[in-house]
Amino acid sequence: MKRISPFLSSFLLLLLALVLSLAIGSVFLSPAQLWAALIGHGTQTSDTILWAIRLPRTVLIAMTGMALSGSGAAYQGLFRNPLADPFLIGVASGAGLGAVIAMSINWPYSFWGLLAIPMAAFIAALLTVFVVYSLARVGRTVPTTNLILAGVAFSSFATSLTSFLMLRSTDDIRRALGWLFGGASQSNWTAIIAIAPYLFIGLGVLLVSGQALNLMQFGDEQAQQLGLNVTRAKTILLISASLATAAAVAFSGIIGFIGLIVPHVMRLWWGADYRRLIPLSIISGATALLVSDIVARVVIAPQEIPVGIVTALVGAPFFLWVLRRAKNQGYW
Amino acid sequence: MLRKFFFFILPVAILLVACVPSSVNTPQPQAATGIVQPTIVQTQPTPIVLTDGLGRQVKLAAPARRVVSLAPSNTEILFAMGAGSQVVGRDELSDYPAQVPGIPSVGGSMGNFSTEAIVALKPDLVLAAEINTPELVKTLEGLGLTVYYLSNPTTLDGMYANLEAVAKLTGHVDETSTLVQSLKARVAAVDTKLIGVSEKPAVFYELDATDASKPFTAGPRTFIDLLIQRAGGTNVASTLKDQYPQVSLEELVVLNPDIIILSDSAYGETPEKVAARPGWGTLAAVKNGRVYPFDYHLLSIPGPRLVDGLEQLAKLLHPDLFK
Repeated sequence: MKRISPFLSSFLLLLLALVLSLAIGSVFLSPAQLWAALIGHGTQTSDTILWAIRLPRTVLIAMTGMALSGSGAAYQGLFRNPLADPFLIGVASGAGLGAVIAMSINWPYSFWGLLAIPMAAFIAALLTVFVVYSLARVGRTVPTTNLILAGVAFSSFATSLTSFLMLRSTDDIRRALGWLFGGASQSNWTAIIAIAPYLFIGLGVLLVSGQALNLMQFGDEQAQQLGLNVTRAKTILLISASLATAAAVAFSGIIGFIGLIVPHVMRLWWGADYRRLIPLSIISGATALLVSDIVARVVIAPQEIPVGIVTALVGAPFFLWVLRRAKNQGYW
Repeated sequence: MLRKFFFFILPVAILLVACVPSSVNTPQPQAATGIVQPTIVQTQPTPIVLTDGLGRQVKLAAPARRVVSLAPSNTEILFAMGAGSQVVGRDELSDYPAQVPGIPSVGGSMGNFSTEAIVALKPDLVLAAEINTPELVKTLEGLGLTVYYLSNPTTLDGMYANLEAVAKLTGHVDETSTLVQSLKARVAAVDTKLIGVSEKPAVFYELDATDASKPFTAGPRTFIDLLIQRAGGTNVASTLKDQYPQVSLEELVVLNPDIIILSDSAYGETPEKVAARPGWGTLAAVKNGRVYPFDYHLLSIPGPRLVDGLEQLAKLLHPDLFK
């Protein structure tokens, strides 16, 4: 396994997942039909299914997986904690609260009206991170323990507020639950164009922060002495990771597990060098979420299980298998 | 680091961006394919233009011949007016009347519909209800389908209006006006028998009592509340604020309903079980044995069966007047 380039294998797996995601769905299209639709000679139905349904969904799911897993790896490096995931400091609960509040208002059926809920989720997620960051700051430093504690406390607060609101407006509880379980309910090009800039900025910054994250593994003081401006690095990492996560969560809801487990699998397979870990997590996160989405669409077709449920159902056994097989256990 | 970014990530990004076709296929609405017309469909010379519950203008060149229903209420409405043979797809939760389970399902049990399955059925009309999200309507619209969204009615007249809208869309205007007349007549019959009735029993409509010390009920601004009053009763929960409040048992003892209606009888609740619940034995309804099981579909689905629900309620509330 050491001989194969990690990037090549991850990239090939991603390509495979992309192709499968376009080929598999609740309606069976034979390879001939798929090929015909690809080159533009398909029937109207298979054209619509391939280009208007499966392609935007594939792209959106891949982007979401990239965001969640890349920021998950960054958070794990930032907090030096194996249990860190992109939702640690409250992005998920903040986004959930924003979305549920927005759902209780009857928005007009217009372009902006339909974007109200994702926008509310996005803004609420970023606000939550800002509040948690301000609460955790001590003078000019941001101790990671404070961040975690403030994040957990604020998350619990936001989650219980969300549950309360959901119970009060029982009409929308189904809609809220569907959103909270995660899934590509609005998988169209508008959503993709809306989240692309935040993703590129957020993940782009994370990609070049590998060295900074490596240094931070030694501890704040050591990293400072090695020349890294720790507070500034933490702030930049937090902002970019949260930006990417908030954008992903805005349209896809809360999809857990990917941000937590994919970086760990990459770490078990390819080592904990963040310069490699971040890009590998990004690529493999897309693969993992695409595979989960394929399973979610197909297992009890035409029913679609929310993706957030499938990620843990499918991912946990896989991760446990990887964990048992890993020779470098105890790397933390 | 940056080298890797340019060699691997950027090509993936470019590949994905390049996959966006320069002219994304916007499929045109399906023209009529040679499907055998049911004999009861009336051909309208002018196109049908209606405004739906979301304020959208919906246009159909001719009455729809292939309809996909996304809610149980819509399925019931379609079958009630004789458009059952035009229903080619239904949501997973639709199960009434008896022919419905045989119709292909398009998902929807966990809120997510399979848009692929809907598209593959080639419908010329998709009927959505308030239980479906506006995002779903937008998605289906974007796929070139004609979608009509029925808002939940808040009065019986609203329900008749929904029936008439669907009648125009599916070409069953005559049958539906007969249906609406008969529904109105049945409601009027209930009203007439209740004229001059002064004694209105207090009713507790139980939605869910999994936690017997805090049952859920239907409060003000619900159809259930409306129809309980129409059936000559008062809803003990109508003084509360929420639409579907959770009432504590203590409050219920204070409200002391004369009648308890178990809409959760489909889930195993029986009058005997209610009597066995701790603290419930003191309620007047339980002591007098006026705890009745009820089919919740009759009052929870905004369709023609609401009138059945009204009649059933009236029978339970005033058994002497309605034999």
